Amino acid sequence: MQRPWHASAALLAAVFVASAAQESARPPIALNARQEALLLANCTQCHARPGIGAPLIGDAAAWKERRYQGEDRLLEHVVLGVRGMPPLGYCSACTEDDFRALIRYMAGVEDKN
Amino acid sequence: MKRRGLLQALGAGTALAACSREPDMRAPVDYRVGGRVPWINWAGNQSCWPSERIAPQAETELVERLRAAKGVVRAVGAGHSFTAVVPTDDTLIATDLLAGLASVDSNTLQAEVWAGTRLHAMGDLLEPAGQALPNMPDMNYLALGGAMANAAHATGAGFGSMPSYVAGITLATPSGELISCDVRRNPELFQAARVSLGVLGIVTRMRLQNQAPFRLTETDRIEKTEDVLADLANRKARHRHFEFLPLPYSSYSITVSTDVAVAGDADLGEDDPQAAMSLRKVFEALSWIPGGRALYDRVLTTVFGSQATTVRTGRSYEVFPHVRIVRFREMEYSIPADAAVACVREVLQAIRTRNLPVCMPLEVRFIRADGAWMSMFEGRDSCSISVHQYADLDHRAYFGEIEPIFWKYEGRPHWGKLHTLDAPRLAKLYERHWRDFQEIRASVDPQGRMLNPYLKSVLGA
Repeated sequence: MQRPWHASAALLAAVFVASAAQESARPPIALNARQEALLLANCTQCHARPGIGAPLIGDAAAWKERRYQGEDRLLEHVVLGVRGMPPLGYCSACTEDDFRALIRYMAGVEDKN
Repeated sequence: MKRRGLLQALGAGTALAACSREPDMRAPVDYRVGGRVPWINWAGNQSCWPSERIAPQAETELVERLRAAKGVVRAVGAGHSFTAVVPTDDTLIATDLLAGLASVDSNTLQAEVWAGTRLHAMGDLLEPAGQALPNMPDMNYLALGGAMANAAHATGAGFGSMPSYVAGITLATPSGELISCDVRRNPELFQAARVSLGVLGIVTRMRLQNQAPFRLTETDRIEKTEDVLADLANRKARHRHFEFLPLPYSSYSITVSTDVAVAGDADLGEDDPQAAMSLRKVFEALSWIPGGRALYDRVLTTVFGSQATTVRTGRSYEVFPHVRIVRFREMEYSIPADAAVACVREVLQAIRTRNLPVCMPLEVRFIRADGAWMSMFEGRDSCSISVHQYADLDHRAYFGEIEPIFWKYEGRPHWGKLHTLDAPRLAKLYERHWRDFQEIRASVDPQGRMLNPYLKSVLGA
């Protein structure tokens, strides 16, 4: 039986690296297994696909302006949808904590632990 | 705007795709950080405030949580339905974490897949097992369970809807039973559960009849709509998959022909993800001028004046889907396949003569008959015709003018797309098995725990 949270750390790392900008990507905060699965099922559909307007996972330059708005503002955009981004980012399973973790991961927020 | 760019923009369902600069839309509910998180669908026209939101990580957990759930219970996958099949203010069960391959049979080319699996994951899951889906919709955001519940489909006169390829189902009932069904075991439950609107419980996994991996080449062209209609039977027979997208106020359509790839097919590039909005800008810039809609037609005629072609080739699961990030509202009816030409002409004529404000293309597809009781394609080869409006514009006047045309042709509305029919009218469209389905539904959910107000209105339960 294969479940999505068995998606390997290697796959997740590949998503991060492949979609990151050329500038050096810092190690992102860690996601738990559930959040890894939610990321792969939902966020990667747009945030790991170049050329459609969504900031790519780990692309610090693309996320810089968005991070400047503050995490609460980003969270509102995720939940309610904004421009091309659908409400909840497709993730009906996500809690507010999940969304915060996913935003930080995709924006390349450093893991301070 | 260059012809090729516009063609790429409009081609292959990408007319419905893509632009990061779409107008902001008002959210259907308020949300304050730190408060409850609402549920909102993709299009932003359905929402709810579930008091409990559950995301089971295993089948056994889902069964137990479903049995113990309070109030009206609804399941959700990607949340792509335009109709209110999902909303509940009681218990919402998200299937995101119930995903992946459960088992593979290389001899039969069948694979059992968890119902929360997104279509975009299917290619990578199945290919290492030597399998591929025979057909796929033109976007791959859907969850498998939702796609089956609403009879999602693609195009291809020789191919049925997605439920046509389901060989077996495991269903968690509201009472906490886990029942397997197929054409031999619990056959009536199987025919009901293949397209169920999610009212029989929650499908946890399904066994899919697949085929060996294959490659496809898709060719998009701009052609005169009347030429396409005159040659429609040949197109449907000649190509593995054929669809076309007539452009309102224009004499042109985008045709999308997809066949098994052959040596030498060359990929000419990805769709332009910005140009659905380019079309809108042209339309809006001209349509307010007296006679502007005729001018719009002339502009498109100039742009499309010579043959223009775009080609995509690759693995099947890379070619079938297209990016879709411009949000819109959609109504789709399936009519008998042999009524396609007359109905398309009538819809286009109605848009023009009634001066309806729309520039998003129609989408015309073909689906083989199937036997699932509540499938839009049950018992008849079908043509599905979709109309769309940008999500920040009011779709109601447009859809209201077009929907009665579909009724004339005995159209059945897509379960996941907007329509105004209620149970008495739907029952007439599903005469053969309406009562059979109601009996199965009542037997597995006698208390109606899976029914929200919308589902009660369309099922009459």
